[in-house]
Amino acid sequence: MLEIVILIPLLSGVAAFFLPPRPGRVTLLAAGVLHLAASIAALSGFLPAMLPLYFTLTPLGGLVLVITSFLYCMTAIYTVSYMNEIEMHAEPAFNGSMLLFLTAMSMAAIADHIIVLWIAIEATTLTSAPLILLHKSKGALEAAWKYVLICSVGIALALLSAFFLILAMNQGGVQVPLNYNSLNGVAASLNPLWLKAAFIFAVIGYGTKMGLAPMHTWLPDAHSEAVSPASALLSGALLNCAFLGVYKTHVLLTSAGIGRFSDHILMIFGLFSILVAGVFILHQSDYKRLLAYSSIENMGIIAFGSGLGGLGAIGAVIHMIHHSLIKSSLFLTSGNILLGYGSKQIKQTRGMIRLLPGTAAAFFSGFTAISGLPPFGLVVSELFIILGALRSHHPVAIIIFISGLLLVFSGACRHILPMTFGSTETKADDLLVADRPARLLPSYTLLAVSIFLTFWMPERLWEIIRQAAVLMGGAHG
Amino acid sequence: MISFADLLLAFVFLSVLVSLASNRLMELVKIMAFQGVIVSIIPLALAHGSGIKAEGWEFLTATLLIKGLIMPMALYIAVKKVANRREVEPYVSYNASIFIGLLITMAASLISHRLSPSMPAADTLLLPAGLTTVGAGFFLMMTRHKAITQVIGYLMLENGIYLLGTAMARKTHFQHILEFGVLLDLLAGVMIMGIILYHINRTFDDVDTGILRSLKD
Repeated sequence: MLEIVILIPLLSGVAAFFLPPRPGRVTLLAAGVLHLAASIAALSGFLPAMLPLYFTLTPLGGLVLVITSFLYCMTAIYTVSYMNEIEMHAEPAFNGSMLLFLTAMSMAAIADHIIVLWIAIEATTLTSAPLILLHKSKGALEAAWKYVLICSVGIALALLSAFFLILAMNQGGVQVPLNYNSLNGVAASLNPLWLKAAFIFAVIGYGTKMGLAPMHTWLPDAHSEAVSPASALLSGALLNCAFLGVYKTHVLLTSAGIGRFSDHILMIFGLFSILVAGVFILHQSDYKRLLAYSSIENMGIIAFGSGLGGLGAIGAVIHMIHHSLIKSSLFLTSGNILLGYGSKQIKQTRGMIRLLPGTAAAFFSGFTAISGLPPFGLVVSELFIILGALRSHHPVAIIIFISGLLLVFSGACRHILPMTFGSTETKADDLLVADRPARLLPSYTLLAVSIFLTFWMPERLWEIIRQAAVLMGGAHG
Repeated sequence: MISFADLLLAFVFLSVLVSLASNRLMELVKIMAFQGVIVSIIPLALAHGSGIKAEGWEFLTATLLIKGLIMPMALYIAVKKVANRREVEPYVSYNASIFIGLLITMAASLISHRLSPSMPAADTLLLPAGLTTVGAGFFLMMTRHKAITQVIGYLMLENGIYLLGTAMARKTHFQHILEFGVLLDLLAGVMIMGIILYHINRTFDDVDTGILRSLKD
């Protein structure tokens, strides 16, 4: 049964709330490994859904599920070592929230019913808020407050989008179950006007959660104030789940034959997000916020690619996979930097290559990867997107897209190069915590998987990517 | 003749306007409890006592309990524990707020008038009431100092969306279990906001959102 990917983390999460820290950490890891096994089985088609009305494994949903599960496993390994270094007074609550967060994300990944998807995505907000709150510093409180309030309001608007979909059904005289799968089959008879309204509200609602500008304001705060393992999950896994909400409505419009409408909206939001991120990265002083803005940029790229269709849509799906791997690796590494230097300021964390060589190598490779340089996967996806834009004749969009990428790259260079190679007064003895293999291995593994997938993509995975892209008007060629 | 549903919807409009004018936090909480009760029994009034099945009653009771009792109670406790000064402290004066409330109502009526031909035949007041409540909820969230009034604004927004949902999706009986899930999310959301609020109050000794402005670029 497919629903087991919800049950495993749910039960262990509830248990973790009552377990003392040590067994709690074991639960954190064990549940992650079990969940990964179940997710891979699900993607291979071994787990049919028990409640097909509510849950179905769509191609993109399956990808999101496996990515989430894999990132979670890596994060769990990291967390166990991370918890040894910091004093966390509410560790059971942290462990429990991590697992419940995984529950909500898994539910979002496999949900196909309009309302169930909504419930799951709202649940991701609620279960991840404690992960931001747990620091209890002033900044963390402010970030958690903004996060819960802005995302809840955004998602409330996504509920309106669900009502518009129901209205589009009623107007078109369609009588099918309320899930995306059945609606896709009858999309042509849905009322196009209300379908468009539903898409607009889905982009505003789920787009808030996904971090599309100008609804992104919560994202830099939440990602920078959360505990580093939680930042990795927020950026690498949660944003994909929110993208699913936008994607599914976009697929509906595409099957209804009015995909051009949603294409244009996605492209505009995408390009705008890239530019906004570029401008804010330029003058950034906090490296975790810098990474958060880079997430906004990458979500913009995904939205832009989805809007392009054709090769661009394939690029968007590949981009999603690699962004998750690379960005979560970067956030995990940034946790090491924070532990070592005790500061999130770029100015105070110079000369890592001498002081924290292992971390510096992971951080700089991650930066190379996220900038879209070979041998990492983003070079492939960005090329696909540019080719897609060329083929569909969007000259202005290509210019904005490429200049946006350059802006982000040059802005990030300005900060990352001194952080890695700059000279500093700090001596090795001044560091608070030294590198540990258990906190480096997950980062390296994530990057290695990205390289691996660039050069050798399993046939089955490629097929799933293609199917996910075809649904939103992708492929041809 | 005025139907029972119309009467209830008139109360919704009234509660929106009174909430914009109220200057005491406690008063605002009471209005929210009142609005919660009204909003949760509106589907009953619209069904004219005929179309509600057994599980429909269960859901209605649950909604009434959560919207009319549990959430206002949570707000009540929060106001008692958290707010040092019990005034609402608006950025926009009360008179101006009421005026804007009236403008929102007018805009909502105009929009509903334009939309009504493509809507299912429901009560004529339902759609404007929903839109007004959503608009006023947004307005409250934006123009009041205290963090707790933002929670109240969020609740009002949710009430409005619930009304809009009743207006748009009433013909399609989507399962009550799902509606219950939505309600549970809402409840958990308000609880978590309450917890954050509690910690904010302990750390900053105040719940003015003006002090929550340190994170920016």
